[in-house]
Amino acid sequence: MNKTIFYFIFSFLFFFKATAQKEKDSLFFDIQFNWKSEALKLNKNYVSNNDTLQVSLVKLYISGIEINYEDGSHYKEKSSYHLINVENFKSFPIAKKENKEITKINFNIGIDSTASVSGALSGDLDLQNGMYWAWQSGYINMKIEGKSNSCKTRKNAFQFHIGGYLEPNYAMRTIVILMDKYPISNNEITITMDLSKLFDEIQLSQTNSIMIPGKEALKIADLSTKVFTIE
Amino acid sequence: MRKILLSLGFAISFFGILAFSKSYFTPIYFEVPKGFPKPLYDFKNNPLTKEGFQLGRKLFYDPIMSKDSTISCSSCHLQQTGFTHVDHDLSHGIDGKIGTRNSLTLQNLAWSKSFMWDGGVNHLDVQAIAPITSEVEMNESLENVVTKLNNNKKYQELFYKTFGTKKITGQLTLKVISQFVVSLTTSNSKYDKVIRKEEKFTEMEQKGYNLFKQNCASCHKEPLFSSNDFKNNGLQIDITLNDFGRMKITQNPKDSLLFKVPTLRNIEFTFPYMHDGRFKNLNEVIKHYNSGIQKSKTLSKELLMPLNLSDNQRIELVSFLKTLTDNEFLFNPKYSFPKK
Repeated sequence: MNKTIFYFIFSFLFFFKATAQKEKDSLFFDIQFNWKSEALKLNKNYVSNNDTLQVSLVKLYISGIEINYEDGSHYKEKSSYHLINVENFKSFPIAKKENKEITKINFNIGIDSTASVSGALSGDLDLQNGMYWAWQSGYINMKIEGKSNSCKTRKNAFQFHIGGYLEPNYAMRTIVILMDKYPISNNEITITMDLSKLFDEIQLSQTNSIMIPGKEALKIADLSTKVFTIE
Repeated sequence: MRKILLSLGFAISFFGILAFSKSYFTPIYFEVPKGFPKPLYDFKNNPLTKEGFQLGRKLFYDPIMSKDSTISCSSCHLQQTGFTHVDHDLSHGIDGKIGTRNSLTLQNLAWSKSFMWDGGVNHLDVQAIAPITSEVEMNESLENVVTKLNNNKKYQELFYKTFGTKKITGQLTLKVISQFVVSLTTSNSKYDKVIRKEEKFTEMEQKGYNLFKQNCASCHKEPLFSSNDFKNNGLQIDITLNDFGRMKITQNPKDSLLFKVPTLRNIEFTFPYMHDGRFKNLNEVIKHYNSGIQKSKTLSKELLMPLNLSDNQRIELVSFLKTLTDNEFLFNPKYSFPKK
C-alpha cells in the first residue's frame, strides 16, 4: 500500500522535473522588436525617411527554422511554424542546447506552399488565428497595420497583408543569419526586427493598402528580409 | 485494499485506452459510385465518422455560424435544389445584403479540385471560411464561431464524442463541416440508372443524350458533368458587376472572364444559371449557346462555332438534361435538417 503511494508520488515528481529540465536544456528563439535602436511601442509616433506614422499591429509567421553547427552538423525544427504577435510575444524553445557553436541560423518569414494547400491545420496554423485569406486560399505571412497622415485613406490607416503561395507571387522569404561573431548567451538567440528599415524604404502616401498577392506584396516581402538582424 | 487499488488501476487504464482508441468512433466508408473516378479529397487527413458527419450536418443547418444568428450554410444551399439558392440571380446573406455571384451547388465535392466560381479556394476544408467571413454572407470570424461553440454545452459534448476532446478549434470545426459536405454524393439519377442498365432513356432523351455528347460533353464531362477547368463561355460582361472571374485570382489576362465549369447534375432544379444567375431557365441557357456567344480573346475554343440546334433538338437536349435529376439525393433525409 505504502509502496503504491510512493511510486505514484515519485512518478508525479519525475514528470514535473522532466518538464523543467527540458526548459533548461533548450535553446530559445527570441525577437527584439525595435524602431531604430529603441524598443518598438505600438501606437507611438515614429518618423521614417518619408512619413510620420504609428504602428498598431504586427503579426507574422516564422517557419522552417534551421541551425548549422561548427562541426558541420545540421538541425531542422520539426513542424516549425510559429505565429508571432508583437503584442504578446514570448521567446520559444526551438532546439536542444548543444555544446557546440552555432555558425548559421536560417528561417522563413511566412508559410511554405505545401502547408498552404493542406486544408485546415492546427495550432499556430489554425485558420481561426485570422492569418488566412478567405476568398483566395493561402496564409497571410505578415500583417503590419497602423496609421499615418500621409495615407489618404479611411481613418488614415495603412494595412499590409503580405502573402501568396503560387508563383510568380510566392511571398515567403528566407532569412540567413551568420552567427560566427555572436556567441550565444543565456540559451537564447535574439534576433532584432527593426521596422524603421521597412518604413524608410516606402512612401505611405503611395503604398498603404496591400491585401492581395502580387507585385506590391512581393516588394514588401523583399524589404522584410532587411529588417531582421543580429546584434 | 491492494485488490481494490489494482482493479481501480485496471479500470482507469481501460477507460484511458477507450478514450484514445479510434474505434471509439464509428467510421464511415466513403462509397465511390460505380464508374466514378477516384475521389480527389484526401480522406486520410479527415477520416469520416458517423459522429463527425452528424456534427457537420448540425453545424451546416445552424445559424450560430453567422454574426447575428440569422444565416446558416443552408440559407443559400438548400437540399431540394441541389444545395443551391434558387430564385435569386445573386445570392443574399446577412441583413438582406446581396453578394456578387449566384451560389454554387454542393454536389460530388469529393471530386472537386478547387472551389468557388473562380477556383480561389484550394481545399474543401478551408472553403467554409469564405462565407463565414464575407460581409454580405455571414459577416463573422472563425475565431468567434469557435468561441460560441466552446461556450455551448451541446457542441462541447458533440465534439467530445467526435474527436475525444472538449477543446473545439478552428481546425476541428472546418473538418466536420467538410465531413458533411464531402458526403453529398449524387449518383442515382435516371442517367446513372441508364448507364448501369437498370432503366432506359425515352427516344427523346436518347436523342438529347447524343446531342449532349457531341456538343457539351467536352467541358461537362461524364459522369460528373463537370471538369475541374475554367472557361470563358461567351457571356457578355455585366457592367454592373464587372466580374472578370478567374483573372482576379491569378492576375493573368489569359484568365479574364473564365469561370468554373459547373456540374450539370440536378440542373432541372438549380436555376437560375451562370455565375451571375442571368438565365432563369434551361431554354435561355441553350439559346445562349445556340446564338448568343460573345466573341472575345479568351473565349473557349469549343465555343467558336455556334450550336445551331433546331427547335426540336433544343427540346431533346432539355429532356436529356432532366434525366440528371436525382430525387433520392434531393429528398434524402440523411442530408436534411437534423430534427433532433
